[in-house]
Order: sequence, then structure tokens, then C-alpha cells
Amino acid sequence: MTVPSNATDTHCPYCALQCAMTVTPAATGPARAGAPTPATPGPVITGRDFPTNRGGLCRKGWTAAALLGHPERVTTPLLRGRDGIHRPVPWTLALDLIADQVQRTRASHGPDAVGVFGGGGLTNEKAYQLGKFARLALGTSRIDYNGRFCMSSAAAAGNRAFGLDRGLPFPLEDLDRADAVLLLGSNVAETMPPFIQHLQGARAAGGLVVVDPRRTATADFTADGAGLHLAPVPATDLVLLLGLSHIAIHDGFADAGFVASRTAGYQAVARSVAQWWPERVQSITGVPVHLLRETVRLLAQGARGGGSYILTGRGVEQHVDGTDTATAAINLALILGLPGSANSGYGTLTGQGNGQGGREHGQKADQLPGYRKITDPAARKHVAKVWGVDPALIPGPGLPAVELLASLGKPNGVRTFFIHGANVAVSAPNASQVLKGLRALDFLVVCDFFMSETAQEADLVLPVLQWAEEEGTMTNLEGRVLRRRAALTPPLGARSELWIMAELACRLNAPSVFSADPETVFTELRAASAGGLADYSGIDYALLDSGEPAYWPYPAGSTGTPRLFLDAFAHPDGRAVLTPVSPSADPARDPLFTGATLALVTGRLLEHYQSGAQTRRVAELAGAVPRAQLLIHPLAAASRGISDGGMVTVANTRGTVRCQAKHSTAIRSDTVFLPFHFAQDENANLLTSQAIDPISGMPEFKASAVTVTALSQN
Amino acid sequence: MTNTPLHIVVVGYGPVAARFVDQLLPAVRSGAVALTVIGEESAAAYNRVLVADLGVGRTTAAAIALSDAAELVAAGVNVHLGTRVLRLDRARQQVRLADGTSLRYSKLVFATGARPVVPPLHGLNPDPAARVALPRGVTALRDLADAAQLSDAVDRKAKVVVLGGGILGLEAALAAQDEGASVTVVHHGTHALARSIDAGAGHTLAAALRSSGITVISNARSVGVQLSPGHDGELRFSALLQESGAPVEGDLLVLSCGVRPRVEVAAGAGLATDRGILVDHRLAALHDPNVFAMGDCAQVRCLDSDCADCAASDGPLGLIGPGWRQAEWLADFLTGSLAVPLPAERAPVMMLKARGVDVAAAGEVQAGPFDPVPGLSVSQWADPEHGKYVKMSTRDGVLAGFISVGMPRTGAELTLLFERGSELPADRSALLRLDGPDRDTAATADPARTVCRCAGVAEETITAAAARGCSTVAEVSAVTRAGTGCGGCHGELKELIEKHFAPA
Repeated sequence: MTVPSNATDTHCPYCALQCAMTVTPAATGPARAGAPTPATPGPVITGRDFPTNRGGLCRKGWTAAALLGHPERVTTPLLRGRDGIHRPVPWTLALDLIADQVQRTRASHGPDAVGVFGGGGLTNEKAYQLGKFARLALGTSRIDYNGRFCMSSAAAAGNRAFGLDRGLPFPLEDLDRADAVLLLGSNVAETMPPFIQHLQGARAAGGLVVVDPRRTATADFTADGAGLHLAPVPATDLVLLLGLSHIAIHDGFADAGFVASRTAGYQAVARSVAQWWPERVQSITGVPVHLLRETVRLLAQGARGGGSYILTGRGVEQHVDGTDTATAAINLALILGLPGSANSGYGTLTGQGNGQGGREHGQKADQLPGYRKITDPAARKHVAKVWGVDPALIPGPGLPAVELLASLGKPNGVRTFFIHGANVAVSAPNASQVLKGLRALDFLVVCDFFMSETAQEADLVLPVLQWAEEEGTMTNLEGRVLRRRAALTPPLGARSELWIMAELACRLNAPSVFSADPETVFTELRAASAGGLADYSGIDYALLDSGEPAYWPYPAGSTGTPRLFLDAFAHPDGRAVLTPVSPSADPARDPLFTGATLALVTGRLLEHYQSGAQTRRVAELAGAVPRAQLLIHPLAAASRGISDGGMVTVANTRGTVRCQAKHSTAIRSDTVFLPFHFAQDENANLLTSQAIDPISGMPEFKASAVTVTALSQN
Repeated sequence: MTNTPLHIVVVGYGPVAARFVDQLLPAVRSGAVALTVIGEESAAAYNRVLVADLGVGRTTAAAIALSDAAELVAAGVNVHLGTRVLRLDRARQQVRLADGTSLRYSKLVFATGARPVVPPLHGLNPDPAARVALPRGVTALRDLADAAQLSDAVDRKAKVVVLGGGILGLEAALAAQDEGASVTVVHHGTHALARSIDAGAGHTLAAALRSSGITVISNARSVGVQLSPGHDGELRFSALLQESGAPVEGDLLVLSCGVRPRVEVAAGAGLATDRGILVDHRLAALHDPNVFAMGDCAQVRCLDSDCADCAASDGPLGLIGPGWRQAEWLADFLTGSLAVPLPAERAPVMMLKARGVDVAAAGEVQAGPFDPVPGLSVSQWADPEHGKYVKMSTRDGVLAGFISVGMPRTGAELTLLFERGSELPADRSALLRLDGPDRDTAATADPARTVCRCAGVAEETITAAAARGCSTVAEVSAVTRAGTGCGGCHGELKELIEKHFAPA
């Protein structure tokens, strides 16, 4: 296929796989006879060959251009009147109004009464500048982001074990050669379909093991001898992993040489898993002993052959014990000697488009650019120097997302709030409480390109650019920095968030410099990250444009780091740390399986992304899956009189969802599944709880107790 | 508020004591508790559940360790190994050890566990107080030294005789047979695991044991052991003698005849005992608020004669799970961070630890489907030829008991349902199908069926593309987007294209 001269190489707007694609503006786009897209002329997307997606795209990627010229696009600042109706206002008025509101809030309630909520979909430049904007222009410590709901548990576990958190510490293509891959709580066949190509080797070797209470599309790839599907009871992943470590140690699969030379803490972990013999694990997880043993055998055998990988996803991480669960997965990997070798390893599959870069450059409450700790005096000094300010001017740590949202409108809480690239009214746990918080604010500013459910609550909505209209960088799930390029001219009236921050910084007399130019901001980010864990100092746009792969850490003068830990882990002594973990009865967690309650797990569908604010507006995707459906086993449905396709209520003390039921034997009969892409009555997060992991601040998304009742038809 | 630490002395250092000590470590580090633990064995606590595995070489002594004495000492715990308590003086609140020391306590916790029952066989000394070793070639498989004896026999591919048809005996028998020994199981009664399973399951299990190579002698009455001089001239076990029939010859006799709680120190101090040391729902000895007991030596039976939980109490539960829960609870209780009483234990689930022989059972299992037991409904599935047997008993739809043999997934789910007290599905056979094939392979022929999920392309769209001349997967992909995501449907695309172009 010849590429038109006005085609632009960029990457998909959605998930962390960041599939490479080409965008061609409408006028000269090639005719696409037979393509199932609507005939409306719009920019044309084609898949582009790249090591991660190999030209593949999923349905979301193929249809992503439908949002660019979408009729519902917000193209002017909108101010909400006393009557609740949003009306257009000029940019100058909007920006003056915000500056005035910030100053008033600060004057009467102090700087921490202004808060910022960022997103894992923002480019590195925007994420970086947002953190700086909060700390210097707003002078607040109250900034966090939706990545707290995403990567925080695996990140905390990775830092604890390896001294560094990069989702995949190896290029994705390394998986191709592996004989065994253990995939825990990740449904890649729906969330990032082109990823499946990299599991082909493990499938051919019979070594793909998928752990999920549902027989997902990904679990289906284990059929016909390609591997195993383990379906544990929700919220028992930690016990499952302790059992696998037990088997590894007792059955003689531990890599003693590796453990001795490259790790610390093995003895304590070995003692702690001595109590988790397989039969005991079976009695808690429901996973038969022979499958546990076979899983460990496959991993150990793979490690001695083509390689073995253990990968975790949100299914095991989004729990109040998510950090400990990810730690248990890492412990298993370390016992088997996988991390830090050339053909094996542990990784976590980052979710959001820039979920990796978004957690490195300072939009986290406890963090400064370069994955630096905000409490570390040396880190503060370095960043202050780059910013040209006194380190004392940088506020201390703020509140993690769930607590930040819980503080909205409360005494000593946040009163004026900025939201960038997040739809918390749908995506945050216990959504009805979040909505209450948003409504209790003095002033809410939302930057978005659609009237998302969160934007509808805003006093002021600022229209911003979409992916194909902006320049910048994204860091994919491998820690590879990619170039996002502008293929199209943005609508008149929409502005970049960098420009908005620069304008506001000026009105607020902020110290330092706030540029509206992405490359300038990236140059500053490089300096700020220099010497940090996530060091980008050797990367520039020219390098990225040349197509050279750039994996961080990439200190100036180096060639980057495709594979981490080959010689040493990132702790001072170079050793990986095994930490004993054990399940504990968390009183904040819903007691599961009392009476007739079912366990609710939430997750994604292939056709939708995150809160659905974008994908519900794509006709092809919304047409394919227009509404939320509750997946329920026919046995559980039968005892409740629920027909296939019938309407049900899914309820607990936090809220009630009304939706259609869909019978499926692919889910445990004690468990139901709801996608979290839908709003209002169908919002799965009406049911999830604000209980959080004490280490990471991750909320409990994956195990809520619910009662399911058939809704009478009249 | 005084700063004097609470002196807690733990008698016994098995798995339950180890959990108790772990739970108290923060209080020890903070100085709130001064903790002493006394273990009779020279090794720190290890997981006794895995002693049989150790004996057959399936694990190592290092791997079954639960505690590290040096680490505890470093944390400030006073650890006495290789000694035991001779006497408890409740009036003075002190214990006297065999090594001559005396220790004062504010709270004393018995975690003395149980010792194996030595059956009354001619040639063995059955006195529970006897500290005389068993004859050579006879072991009760309780501690590390016993494991070493079994290990030696397995290494030599020796003939092992297991006396007793209980769960521990069967586990040892199956493991030893698997690892190369030649095993005979001798038990009284018609079938093994008689306390947990019914005759049908017993028959199915016996067949499984036999097919794994084990000789099973049921309805046996063993009367004595025969000792013969070995190569070194010393007497050692050579056969288990029967009341009738031939002696069962072997090189090692493993006694698996149950355990007896170790209560003698408590009883000697005048504390109330039955089979175990009697304690209330806070694990306190009945007439001494400063003495507690937990684990295999503790029998919960309170003074309230109307207490429903205690009505059926006939001894300690003898399981590690409840013991660990008691240990955690008691540690929290003694450090004042807990006010709620210990929840009553559900009836235990018996699960055989063995490779290739899956047996799980719990609750009411003896009644058959047509037996007139009021309120009890029983469903049953038996397929002896293939070694499968399942029974489910329910009361008001709630699982009251079950047995599962040879059906691992079914057994795993029934275990969960029993422990939750869940209702069974009205269609009980649904549970049996869990051990069927993973998915329904009968694909439906539906032209609107989605072939490529990633791009959402139906079979009819692909067939239509083929009809318009697309003859390769790449061509079909270019026109329909099918196969452009994960690539998982390429095989099916190829089939559909070939089907279209195949000569009629």
C-alpha cells in the first residue's frame, strides 16, 4: 500500500500498547471500498508496522478517527449559568475567571483548597507540566491522577522488589520466544488485542496460563492444548500465588543459584509460604491442585528452555491487597529466577495510553519528575533548580486519588478543582459519593473534548485537543518513548492544555517558565528527569523521529535500556528484594458470599475504553455494544428467576445498577461481571467501594458483594 | 498506666505456637510483651502437615520451616529449644523446665499439640506417658526424626506397612508408593477414611489405591509386631501380626492410628481436661484466667450447659486451620486489640493430600438418596469403572455434607460451597459437569456469528469478501479488517476462504 504524502505516522489514542498507525486527512484519503466504516468522509486510519502491534489494530483503533470531527465535540469554553446550562464564553473571560477563582479560594481557604486531578492518557509533556503547574502556579500539594486506579499497586510492588517500576522491563517482542507465560488478571484479547500475537510461542509450547474468574477471550486462547485456564474465586489471587510459590519451593523448582546471588529475603518468604500447601490453597481458591502444580511445572520448564514470563494486570492489582498480590507474583518470579534474565521476567501490563509516562513525571501526589520522591531533599533540590525556584516553594506530598476525591467540598478539603483527561464521575469507585463531592465544590474546571459525565458537572469546561491534533510523547507499556504527531488541524476554539497552563500561570504570577510548545516542555522534562529513576535526558524529538527505539532510563550519552536488571536490580546492593506477604482479613473489604450475594468483578470490553466517554460516541462501537450487560452464570440466574436478556438490578449498600443480564457459562457461578464503560444507572462504579490498599492507595475494584434481582417487566 | 511488659510463656513450639509468636512480634518489639517460647524438639517450628512429604523426599526440611529461632531471638523473644515443661505451679504463676530453670508468667499458653497414639500391639509399649522410643523400624510419622526413617525406607524401595486407614496414613502410603516404596495399608473396618466417607466412596477409593500399586487389607485385626534381628544383629520390625491370616511382612511400620492431645502438664496442675485441655470461647482454661490453650491440645467446651457450640464438643478439632485462627485471635486478644470472642469453627472439610487420587469430604455423608432421614436430600453419582464418585447432602438446599472422589473440580467447588454454607444449584448435575471438557466444542453454524472479535467482523462479511474475489487472508483483511487485531482468527479466515473456493 502506498502511503499518501499527507499521511502522518502516530500512535493510537487509547491503551498502553500504543499501536502504531497512520492518519491521513479526509480529502485525499484512499477510497476504502468494502470497509465497514460509515461513508462520512473523515480522516483515514491504517495500521502501521511496529514491533508491538505489527500492523494490527483493534476495532477501537480502526474507528478512532470518528471522534475527531464528531458533532458533539466541545469547541469553545462553556460556562455553566445559574440555570445549570452551559453557554459559550470567550477564552480570555474563561481564563480570567479561573485565575480569580483560584486566588479567592487560596485567600480564604489556603493553597491546598485548590486541587488537580490528572490522567494517564495525557502526554508526557502535559503530565509533567500539570505537576509543575499544581505545585508552582497553584502552590498546592493536592494533585493526583487516575493512574492511582490503574498502575499504583504494581508500581509499589515493583519499586519494593526491584527498586524501580517500569511496566515491562523488557521489549514486548521478548515474549515471542517464551515457552510459558502466566497471565494473571489481564484480558489482553479484549483490552489490547494485537498483544495476543506475542503469546503465539507460549501457546505453541502449550505454556499459556491465564488466571481469571471468567473464561475470557484471553482464557479461550489456552484451549486445545495451548495452556491452562485457572478460575479462582474473586479476591483469592494472593493465596493462589502463595500456593504457586510453595509448590515451586517444595517441588524443587526454586533457582537456588539465582536466589543466592541476586536476591535478598528468600528465607523469610520460603517460611511464609510453607503454610500454603496446595490442598489448602485449593480449598480457598477453588483451583484444583493438579492445575496449580502444572502451572509451576510449565513455568519452571519454560525458564530452562525458551523462557518464562509472569505478567499481572488490573484483575489481581485492583484490590485492597493489590500491592501484596503483585508482590506475591514477583516473589514467585524471583524464586523461579525469571527477572533480570535475557529471556524471562516479570512485568505488569500498563493500561492507559500513557499510564507509564503518566506515573513518572510528577502528577502523582508523592512524586516529582523522573520518578523522584517528593519527600527526598536531593530530589526537591534538583527539580527546584531546573524550575529556577527555591526548593521550599515546592509543596510536600498530597493525597492519593481516592482520598483526594473524598475531600472534595469537605472542611479542609478541596474547593476549587481542575480535572484533566479523566472522567471521575464514572471511573472512580463509589461513583455516587464522587458525584456528591463534585457538586459540593465551589468551582470545578474540566478540560475535555466532550461533555463527559464529569464535564457536565463543571462550572467551566475548557475544550482541548485530541490525539491526532497535537505533538508530544507517550511512553508505552514497555517503557519505550514514542512520538505522537499532529496529523490534522484542531477545530477553531480548542486549545492545548500546555497553552492553558501557560496562560493561567501568567495570570497567577507563577514563578518559573510555562511553555505552550511541547518540544520546549519536553526539553525541560529531560532536564528535570536527569539522574532520576526514569531518566529521559538522552531522548529528544529528533531521536524519536529517526525511529530509533528509546527505552528509559536513557541518560544523556547512553543508548537507553531495552532490558533492565540484566546485571543488577535498582536497589543500592543490586539485589531484588523478596518480601513476605500474607492475606489479611481487611474489615473495609466486602465480606463475600454471605447469604445470596454474588461477587462482582468489573472490567473491560473490546469495543470500549475506560469510562466510555469516547467510545460510546463512536457509532460503530456503540452500535456493537450499546449498553452494559451483566454476565451471570445460568445457574445463578436460574435460582433468581433471571432470564437471558432480562433486566436486573445489581445492588449493594453503595448503589444500584439497572441493566440487562446475559447468561454465560464462562463465568464462575458465584461471580458476576459488569463492564465499567457505562454511565448513570449502568455505572459499575456505583457498586465498588472506596476501601483502599494501604500501600498504593488502589481502590477495591474487583471484589464487591452484590445482590442480583430480576426486574419485573412491567 | 504501667510500663511493665506482659510476660507471656508459650508451652510448645509447633505450627500453632509459631503463628502465635509471629502475631505477637510487633508487641514484643514495642516492649509491651515479654515472650518466652518453649519447644521440646531441637528444631524451631516446622509445618507438621508436610512431614510425610519430607519422608518421601518431596520436600526439604528447610522448605517446611515456619520459624527461624535466631530471628526471633534477635527480635527479643526468649526461645528455649530441646527442653520441656515438667510442672506448672499456678499459685506462683511459674513453670519448671526439665533443664532446671523456672519461669514466671503473667499469661501461660499451652500449645503442646498432640502425640501419636501407639496402639495396643504385642511388642509395643502403648503407655502414653512412656518416653521410651518405639522399636527400630516402627515410626509414628510425627516429627523430623520420623520423616528421616521413612525417607530411608523409600530410598531403599523398602516394603512399608501403614497401620491405620485414616487420612494421614493414606497420604503417607500414597506418597511412599509413588516415590518407589512398596506399600501395604492395613486397617480395620470395611474401608479407609471410614470417619469421613461412606461405603460407596470407600470402594471407589480402594480401587484407586490398588491401581496405584498399594495393597489394602481391610477388616484387619492387628495384634502385634514381629521383631527380627537385622544385619547388625539388632532387633527391628519385620512383620505386623494379624489375629487371623498371614503376618504382613515389611521393613518399616508406619503407625497412623490417630493422635492424643498432650494434656498431662495441665492435668497435673489441676486444670480441667477431657480429651483436651478444656477452655472457654476465649481459649481460657475453665478455672484459671491466666492460663490458655490453643491448637491440638485445646478443647473448646465452656461452662454454659446450654451452649449449642459446645454441646457436640468431643475433643480438639485436630486441624491446623482452626489452630492458626485460634493463635491469631489469642495473640490479638492478649495484647488487648480485640474484644469479639473467637467465632465458632465450621465443620471441617477433609481433603486427601495425594497426587492423582482426589478425595474431599465433609459433613453428613452416610445417608443414601433413598434413606428416610428427615430434612436431608441426597444426590449421588457413581462411576466406579472410572474411579468417580460424588455425593451431595443438603438441608433446605444448603450443602450439609459431600464426598467427591476422582472429580477434582467438582471437589474444589463443593469445598467452597460447604465452607460458605451456600445453597446448591437446583440442577445438582451442573457440579458434575465441571470436570467435563473446558468448553463446548460444538460450534454453531450461524452466518451472523462474529469470526474476528477484534474488528467485529461476521462470517457473512468474510464470505461476501471471498465472493468478490478475495482469495487470501491478507486480501480479506484489507477489505474487511478481519484478522487485523490479535490474529487469532487467521486459521478460521483461511478455512472460510478455502470453503468458498473449493470445487463444489
